[in-house]
Amino acid sequence: MTVEIGHFALVLAFVLTLVQFTVPLVGARIGDERMMAVGGPTAVAAFALTLLSFAALTYAYIVSDFSVVNVWENSHSQKPMLYKVTGVWGNHEGSMLLWIVILAAFAALVAWFGRNLPATLRANVLAVQGLIGASFMLFILATSNPFTRLNPAPMEGRDLNPLLQDIGLAIHPPLLYLGYVGFSICFSFACAALIEGRIDAAWARWVRPWTLAAWLFLTGGIAMGSYWAYYELGWGGFWFWDPVENASFLPWLAGTAMLHSAIVMEKRSALKIWTVLLAIMTFSLSLLGTFLVRSGVLTSVHAFATDPTRGVFILGILVFFIGGSLSLFALRASRLTTGGLFHPISREGALVLNNLFLSTATATVLIGTLYPLLVEAVTGDKISVGPPFFNMTFIPLIIPLLIAVPFGPLLAWKRGDLYAACQRLFAAFAASLAVVVVVWFFVDGASVAAALGIGLAFWLIFGPLTDLALKSGVGNVSPGIAMRRFAGLPRSVYGTALAHIGVGLTVLGIVAVTTLEVERMAGMQPGDTMEVSGYTLRFDGIRPHQGPNFTEDQGVFTYFNASGREMGTIISSKRLYTARQFPTTEAGLRTHGLSQLYIALGDRLPDGSIVVRAWWKPLVLLIWLGSVVMMIGAGFSLADRRLRVGAPSARKARPAGTVEAPA
Amino acid sequence: MFFWIIAATLTLGACMAILAPFSRRHEKAARDEDHDLEVYRDQLAELERDAARGLIAATEAEQARAEIGRRILRVAAERKERPARGEGTSFTRIASLAAVLAVPLLSWGIYAGLGSPGMPGQPLEARLAQDTGEASMAQLVARAEAHLAENPEDARGWEVLAPVYLRMGRGGDAVVAYRNAIRLDGETAARQTGLGEALVATAGGTVTFEAQQAFEQALALEPGNARARYFVASGYLQDGRTDDAVSIWQAMAAELPGDSPWRGAAVEALREAGVSADAVPGPSQEQMRAAADMDTDDRTAMIEDMVAGLDARLRSAPDDPEGWQRLVRSYVVLGRQDEARDALDRGLEAMGRESAQSDELASFALALGISPTELEE
Repeated sequence: MTVEIGHFALVLAFVLTLVQFTVPLVGARIGDERMMAVGGPTAVAAFALTLLSFAALTYAYIVSDFSVVNVWENSHSQKPMLYKVTGVWGNHEGSMLLWIVILAAFAALVAWFGRNLPATLRANVLAVQGLIGASFMLFILATSNPFTRLNPAPMEGRDLNPLLQDIGLAIHPPLLYLGYVGFSICFSFACAALIEGRIDAAWARWVRPWTLAAWLFLTGGIAMGSYWAYYELGWGGFWFWDPVENASFLPWLAGTAMLHSAIVMEKRSALKIWTVLLAIMTFSLSLLGTFLVRSGVLTSVHAFATDPTRGVFILGILVFFIGGSLSLFALRASRLTTGGLFHPISREGALVLNNLFLSTATATVLIGTLYPLLVEAVTGDKISVGPPFFNMTFIPLIIPLLIAVPFGPLLAWKRGDLYAACQRLFAAFAASLAVVVVVWFFVDGASVAAALGIGLAFWLIFGPLTDLALKSGVGNVSPGIAMRRFAGLPRSVYGTALAHIGVGLTVLGIVAVTTLEVERMAGMQPGDTMEVSGYTLRFDGIRPHQGPNFTEDQGVFTYFNASGREMGTIISSKRLYTARQFPTTEAGLRTHGLSQLYIALGDRLPDGSIVVRAWWKPLVLLIWLGSVVMMIGAGFSLADRRLRVGAPSARKARPAGTVEAPA
Repeated sequence: MFFWIIAATLTLGACMAILAPFSRRHEKAARDEDHDLEVYRDQLAELERDAARGLIAATEAEQARAEIGRRILRVAAERKERPARGEGTSFTRIASLAAVLAVPLLSWGIYAGLGSPGMPGQPLEARLAQDTGEASMAQLVARAEAHLAENPEDARGWEVLAPVYLRMGRGGDAVVAYRNAIRLDGETAARQTGLGEALVATAGGTVTFEAQQAFEQALALEPGNARARYFVASGYLQDGRTDDAVSIWQAMAAELPGDSPWRGAAVEALREAGVSADAVPGPSQEQMRAAADMDTDDRTAMIEDMVAGLDARLRSAPDDPEGWQRLVRSYVVLGRQDEARDALDRGLEAMGRESAQSDELASFALALGISPTELEE
């Protein structure tokens, strides 16, 4: 019965989102405040219902109710409890349900926190959000219903794809969806502004936190996915330029551009039309990602289902929303007023430069991702646009942008002084240059490119630090005052610096791994040893091991450091998941500081030895720690007080005014 | 019943969410322009803070202050031009009523089409805990399967499960179970007969070459086995050897006691024998007749010719999933395992590694004990 209540709740939520779309929209059109106010409570109620529906499905997974087709297809009674729960979204239907739960949650948040929004803007935003929700709920109910029943019920399920039986599934998809779907709010705000033909002054202030939040989650989701692929797929790569990865990277690039243009819009009322367009494009790219991944156009671990009707349906949603919003944009953009003027060398100018590079990079990745699909659709030939294409186009585009990053925050609004900014950054530049020299001369095997890349990474770290030092007045005032000024800086200043430093850390990790990595491969018999970057690995043999729903051969390695001291054992294994007869490799990892020793087992050779691949991956963890720092930066920015917009009323002094920071 | 109460409550809640704004006392919301003014005042305050903290120079602050001031003036002008928002009309009431009515009508309508309201949930724990007496056949089978998954060498388990599979119509599983029982615990007439029956079931009633072999093996072990005799005779009939079939059935009718079900079956078969002998898929009647007249060696040669023909045809026209299955099975029957694997590999290649047909072929082959080369290595 629980399952059926979940099903009914989903249907009811669908109908409510239809009301959430129509009534407030009409209300905003004819200026009726009560009709406009309907958006709020319906959004909250629809969220509660989708959540109930999701809980019902989760319950069915937990108790292994195989009378639900979805549970039967993707679960197994012997599976550990964690994977029973994560299995809820480890399949097409369940993941779409999670998608709409998050969508409804964001709508409910707008309804909840949006009390100070202008009434018509709020009504229109909720209406557009309702339309998106209704489309996806219709999609689920019509083609991907997770509540379809099976009678008589089988006694055992078919188990979840073993590659997905990992803690990564608990984190990666929910974070990614929070990111993807978070951009739907920006999209709804953009459409609402276009429908009304007017951009309120609060628009940018309202859109920025949503962009920030979505960006924060998307960053986390992409980083998590990358780390997961790194340790699960068994060849130690962290980014493959795989179309599915690109599908999540595209909205990230566009979202990063929007994050920056929204600052200009908020501070200076400029770039309004561009920001609206970026908001539309970012969510469109999220939808495109969903389409590519879910339609079965791309074959990968993400393509849970390859049912053509689903592909066509999502394509319909895609065309409707992208086409609709762009037409709306074409019709209404001219009615939006343009804002303040600025000099090319200024903070605004720097942010425009950022946008220019990021949108070009987005276009490049988009072409690289879609081109093979188009060729296949038109001529039937399968071509592959691999990493070489992206390395040759994306990297040259992104390097100038990275070099320019530290300048932006140092330029003044409206009219900046590039020469003064260069002077201020001189120390950071000298320090980075010193790093280049040190790396070049003192690190074994470092090429010029490696040294320059690492120098660039440090430039990205020293630059924002310089900015923080200057803003707190280091050198001009006494250290005590500087300390206090540092503590009193607006949180968005910390946010900017941390996010940029995070980029630097990630770049450092990527450069270090790609240029300084050491790889060794050999067929090993028990007792054999192998040298990897100063460590000695001794292969102790293979031992069989029985897991809850898999069997595995564990290769046991003991390793010693350069002076011969034993450092411990590393276990790397090959698993076989019995229910699906599916083999996986489990890499053996050992962390030293920020670097890792990575061991993967290969095939057996005819002489009985086993192929062992071992890598020394210097500073590899920085790739993901850098993303965490970026996320913390976004968190700081989110906490900035200027994002809290006051409601217009004859109120007493606002809290923001009373709590004056010590200056 | 409980379900309908909850569903009704949910629906009521949804309707309330729509009605709430209409029931509330109407208060005048602020105008959009007022929101803008508030934002600008906020910006001014922030500007003052930044200026006080020394984050921006005095001249820049002055410029920014002037700019925000201009924005405030512009909004004030807009505010005068735009009329205040109107009041609700009767249209509002009708629209809201329609929305509220739509919720129960649409949701119950859609759910009636999609849902299974009467179907209770079936948590696995509860189903396994049911009394053996109440448990369904499927549940008992599931328990036995779970047991065999852990103890795959339990011959008795396979022996018990095999006829149950056969009765449930799961011929393929029955074949595997009988084969396991034979492999683990040796041949008996009953097991060979069961295997034969299972093979007949999977072949849709046709007594295939393999099945015939199983029945003949059963007769070698226990010459009087009535079930095996009956099926051997059916096989002869399908091969066109009507006389041989009839003589076996006549012998059965004469020898078996009156209460034996197989005596009745034989008599029934004799009555039909004159009429039936329908064509069976595979070799033509002439070929069958020719095969029946040949001795064993010649028969094998002819079968090999047919297999070679099939093989050649599939090389030129590989898009034939059933053909591939037949080819793999033929090689297995002929005892040529390597060629069977080769045929499987080619079949998988021809139908594309990821396709449903190749999955089907692979599992078909696995049931016969043949796995693709790539898995072997």
